Amino acid sequence: MAGTENDIVRVTDRRGVTLVHIRIDSILHDPEVEALGRALAAMAEVPGRRVVLSFLGVEQLTSRVLGQLIYARKRLKETGGELRLADIDPRLYDVFVISRLDRFFRIFEREDEAIASFHEEAEA
Amino acid sequence: MKARGGKADRQQGWTEKVLPTRLEAIRETEREVLGRLEALGYDEDHRFAVRLAFEEALVNAMKHGNRMDPSCQVRLAYRVSPERVEIRITDEGKGFDSAAVPDPTADENLNKPCGRGIMLMRSYMDEVSYASSGREVRLVKYRRTPSS
Repeated sequence: MAGTENDIVRVTDRRGVTLVHIRIDSILHDPEVEALGRALAAMAEVPGRRVVLSFLGVEQLTSRVLGQLIYARKRLKETGGELRLADIDPRLYDVFVISRLDRFFRIFEREDEAIASFHEEAEA
Repeated sequence: MKARGGKADRQQGWTEKVLPTRLEAIRETEREVLGRLEALGYDEDHRFAVRLAFEEALVNAMKHGNRMDPSCQVRLAYRVSPERVEIRITDEGKGFDSAAVPDPTADENLNKPCGRGIMLMRSYMDEVSYASSGREVRLVKYRRTPSS
């Protein structure tokens, strides 16, 4: 999956962590939501995958995106992997807080911190 | 919108539309409504809130109300003034009891992928009310909160 991309996401490998960048600024409508869901679901095809999803540049989302994230987190967990989130705009972060999903997901300010958190845990 | 969406409403600045039950129809309508807000100088926080709630309400009407039945329609009425945004969305479904929707922020529901749309609408709009046994939702966002 390293180095792949489609209209919605760009996927790269960063020191053994799969980094997913969202390529659009608004994930509101069904085609984009579904495409993001498919891309995230594909992450779980490799057991034990550690994934950081960066929201850098994303300005708007919908509750269905939250649903896709919850589903992806579950699928990754089932295969021994994990999903962490990063670079969430303050306005979007409020959506996570209002939904109480800031407690459900591990959310980092920047992608580098999220990636480092995986390495720190592996070394500990 | 049968009772309140007639000539009198139009004279009071309501815009009415009938949308097919197709999710693709949302994008263009949303652009139109958001364009009105932008033209009246609503700030980004207001536009974010209205866009989010508008999308949630229309998707609910099509998916949960009309169950994506292409023979059903969604009626939309909206009015944007310098003071507030009002939106009414009506589907042709069976209706529902909004009070019976489980709280998605409860611990036991946090891992459920669905059920956050109404909660987000209520969080981001100043008024959310249902009529016609849940088939019609009315959303209001004030430029300033009523108390300010």
